[in-house]
Amino acid sequence: MSQLSQVTDILKRLNDEYQTSTPKKLKLIDAYLFYVLLTGIVQFAYCLLVGTFPFNSFLSGFISTVGCFILAASLRIQLNKANQSTFNVSPERAFADFVFAHVILHLVVINFIG
Amino acid sequence: MPQTHQSVDADNRGFEITYKSSDDSTLEIVKYGEYLYDNIIVFAPGTKDFGGRLDAEILAQFVDAGGNVLIAGSNVIGDAIREFSGECGIEFADDKSAVIDHLNFDSNDNGQHTLIVASTDNLINSELIVGKTKQTGAPFLFRGIGMSADQENPLLLDVLTASSTAYTANPDEQTLAEYPSTVGKRTLLVSVLQARNNARVGFVGSLEFFSNDFFEASIQTGNSKKQSRSGNQELALALTDWLFKQRGVLRSRNIHYYLLKDKSSPRYYTVKDDIMFSVQFDEFVHGKWVPFNGTDVQLEFVRIDPFVRVTMKNNGGKLESQFRIPDVYGIFKFVVDYNRIGYTHLYSATQVSVHPLWHTEYERFIASAYPYYISTFSMMAGVFLLSFLVLYHRDDIPKKKAE
Repeated sequence: MSQLSQVTDILKRLNDEYQTSTPKKLKLIDAYLFYVLLTGIVQFAYCLLVGTFPFNSFLSGFISTVGCFILAASLRIQLNKANQSTFNVSPERAFADFVFAHVILHLVVINFIG
Repeated sequence: MPQTHQSVDADNRGFEITYKSSDDSTLEIVKYGEYLYDNIIVFAPGTKDFGGRLDAEILAQFVDAGGNVLIAGSNVIGDAIREFSGECGIEFADDKSAVIDHLNFDSNDNGQHTLIVASTDNLINSELIVGKTKQTGAPFLFRGIGMSADQENPLLLDVLTASSTAYTANPDEQTLAEYPSTVGKRTLLVSVLQARNNARVGFVGSLEFFSNDFFEASIQTGNSKKQSRSGNQELALALTDWLFKQRGVLRSRNIHYYLLKDKSSPRYYTVKDDIMFSVQFDEFVHGKWVPFNGTDVQLEFVRIDPFVRVTMKNNGGKLESQFRIPDVYGIFKFVVDYNRIGYTHLYSATQVSVHPLWHTEYERFIASAYPYYISTFSMMAGVFLLSFLVLYHRDDIPKKKAE
């Protein structure tokens, strides 16, 4: 019982730290990531339910969510002040990379969706 | 020979016959690279060496070139005949031996039980080769040597075997000193070979089988009822008809294939097309081609392995079949491979290419794919909104990242 309360303690601490020390911009990106994750899960569940018939459409829809998630996560890491020393990338550069990768991703996805 | 074996003459069947003695010094079957004959009957079992320019090798080459040969044996078989039969996978028993059957011999037998009576039960079940003799014919008179066939050779057919009580041995010896060379139904009386080029070679162990005496002889075995006439003539006629390509010859022609929807034949086909294939089969019956009426001809659509195999509908000799090309593209062949006992082997392959769909031919806006479309566009909108957020959001706390 004490162990469970320890775990809830830790989680509570984590949540508090996140709420106080994370910049609002990163919190908004986190919300976006959560939305993308949810869309991907819904698509996967839909595919399990309905079957794989337009398999290329499913693949491109699913890959588009996975791609968006990865790109947004990368952007978040690069924008995070705490990682500044590791990456040494300016926010403008990070954003340009993000947009460029998205252009390629969505070109591929639209070509493949049929 | 023409005097004693006249009834086998084929002159009333449209053949032109040339008689030559086997030791004729002018004997030749090939002149300036062309064969002089279509069919050869060798009624000279004792021949050690042919006269003129003929030997077993040339005879084998004649078969390779598509010629048909009928060989009759007797109690003595010459080396030339033995060599040629060996080429065909047939081995005659030793000289001086004969097929002996102590239970099924004719009443005219001389006591050695070598004039045997072969039952129609031991005949191959193929009307093309033996005619109607299997159903209606009388038994056959036979006095001669037994053969054994190479068991590995799939091209050989046992047309007539001896009964299970027969064996091949020297009838002059009082006791069997060694194991008989052939025993029971393994003793072949008549066998045929249809080579891969459809040339036909027949072996009959008895020359007297074709004689006028045997054709007209009556048959009586033991205490059974007497048959007024042997079945020899009927079998000889049916067998020579078959051997000399008057029966059981097939040809295919007029191969057509087209799309079912507009009856056109494009340069290539696309996966999942419905197509129709048709081919005309003809059978050669006594001098003219008539429509083939078999219903067991199969069509295969092959790309290394058959992807489709269908039995074709026979519509007055025109065999048709419609099927849907599988969802596989590549170079395919329409293969008709018809190989039945008594018929010539017919193989026909026609090549077509099958393409995948063009990029523009795929189905679009599928109802069940709308969630995927929506999610993709929502992802794009999300990126668009996120871009504004990243560019223009300024955190309230001044010490955090600006711009």
